[in-house]
Amino acid sequence: MEEKVLEILEEYCEEALDYTGDNMMEEGVIDSFTVINIVSELEDAFDIEIDAKYVVAENFRNKEAIIELVARLLDE
Amino acid sequence: MQLLSIHFVILWVIFFALYYLAPKKRQWMILAVASGLFYVVGTGGIPIGILLTGAGAYGCGIYLKRSLEMQIEALSLLSDKEKKKMLKQGFERRRKRVQILYFVCSLGILLFTKYMVVILPVLQGAGLTTPRSDAFFARVVMPLGVSFYTLTAIGYVVDVGREQCRAEENPAKLFLFLAYFPAITQGPFNRYAKLQGEFAREHIFDYERMLFGVQRFVWGAFKKLVIADRINLFAGNVFGSVDGGIPGSIYALAVVSYMIQLYADFSGYMDMALGISETFDIFLPENFKRPYFSKSVAEFWRRWHITLGTWFKDYVMFSFVMSGTGRKIGKNAKKRWPKMGKHVTGIVGTMLVWLLTGMWHGRTASYILWGVYYGVIMCVSLVLEQQYGVWKEKLSIREGRLYSLFCMARTWVIVFVADVLIRSESLSQAGAIYRAIAADFRLKEGILRVSDYGLSRYGFLLLAAACLLWLAVSVWEEKGKDVRRMLAASPVAVRWCCYYGVVLILLITGIYGGSYDTAAFLYQSF
Repeated sequence: MEEKVLEILEEYCEEALDYTGDNMMEEGVIDSFTVINIVSELEDAFDIEIDAKYVVAENFRNKEAIIELVARLLDE
Repeated sequence: MQLLSIHFVILWVIFFALYYLAPKKRQWMILAVASGLFYVVGTGGIPIGILLTGAGAYGCGIYLKRSLEMQIEALSLLSDKEKKKMLKQGFERRRKRVQILYFVCSLGILLFTKYMVVILPVLQGAGLTTPRSDAFFARVVMPLGVSFYTLTAIGYVVDVGREQCRAEENPAKLFLFLAYFPAITQGPFNRYAKLQGEFAREHIFDYERMLFGVQRFVWGAFKKLVIADRINLFAGNVFGSVDGGIPGSIYALAVVSYMIQLYADFSGYMDMALGISETFDIFLPENFKRPYFSKSVAEFWRRWHITLGTWFKDYVMFSFVMSGTGRKIGKNAKKRWPKMGKHVTGIVGTMLVWLLTGMWHGRTASYILWGVYYGVIMCVSLVLEQQYGVWKEKLSIREGRLYSLFCMARTWVIVFVADVLIRSESLSQAGAIYRAIAADFRLKEGILRVSDYGLSRYGFLLLAAACLLWLAVSVWEEKGKDVRRMLAASPVAVRWCCYYGVVLILLITGIYGGSYDTAAFLYQSF
């Protein structure tokens, strides 16, 4: 699962892979347009539905948080 | 009541004293009373709009809370996964219906109020109103900060539904959140999850914090009175002139001045609002981060009116894209255009956000055009983002200081074009300004005639000096330095010379009185 998420991030936002902070959205590493593309790809890749309530800075603060979110949704 | 008025300063001082004298658990009540008083005195009318919107948000929040509790209880009684899913969907559907009903009602009140300003003079002209109905509209229907509290209340209801904050049980506390007096007229937009904690904390008087708050208020007043209002003497005259022969160079200077005026005015207000709030030990979110240093339009809008941008992104864009309709559009687009289809939902969402942003700012076609203009630029630049990298490599462009300056200049030009639209009196005037700048620049004549438009050469010099001071502070801040802390750490003599210097400049060179209402803030009309 992790590998697939990183693959998607590499395609849409390579900078996210090297980012070591904890606020990608506010720091402009990842913009809302890219978030939408990533969400759409994650939904297709893992057959999950990511509700708008999960699309918050907290869940997109870095690559680890995105992996965590996908793992949580897969568990539900 | 304006923040820059003696009445407000008196209110501020009285409530500041009461706030720190009050029992710590009751401090929020002092703020609620101050906000109520500010609102009622400020509007001079009956705050029916805010009470209706607030009561709706309160009721909706309580309903959502109860529904979520009932859902958890009902789910705990079931073991079948499929049944659980269906039950959850049923609860979610009901909650969504209630939320939509609330959005329709509160946005209805907002639209009615906003467009009544346009409709009322027409009705009055046709003799369809009476003095009593005019008084009713003036006192009840023209409320202060209607756009701000409506969007704030909608944000609260969405956050409760998304379980990002808990519903408020005390209506007075929710009223305080919606009507908190430093933020009610122009923002910043607050999130309940954050502000709830700020109001609930115990606040102890701290001399340094009070000083920092007052400093920030004075700095905001400096931007407003010395820079924004001085620019208005010039830009107001140029844009208000019926003289068709104004050289393009004068228009260009007026537009650049207006860009600075709008920023000084709005960020000045924010400094005052955040400074006042800081004296009460309540920290509001920053709304500006030196936007004119941005290297792209997307970055500009991440630094300008930040809380409005975040509001539209979180509550409109993501809600739309992740809705049934948004997903359907995305899936169909991907099937139809396998390569570019993935961008379609983002494009539709971005355009929707910008169209609404334009409509939120004004009622005329110019504002809609302004929104569409930014929407198109955002979409094009985001879709072509990867391509830019390829072009840059092919053209061997290196990212250095010169390239950064070029990018900043490009942002200025894009904002310049947009600001002509919203500052012009009409679309035809905007067209005339573009034409004059492109084909009738007359630089020499412009230099000779620059002081004919309400601001003397001395006034321009003073303005340039004030802007340079502001620029120096901004450059420091951009380098990550905290200017207020630097000042606080400097020797007493230097520190107090700076304080007195700014206050003296403010008193001597601020624009006061005259026919122009100095205390009216530009963004208040949005």
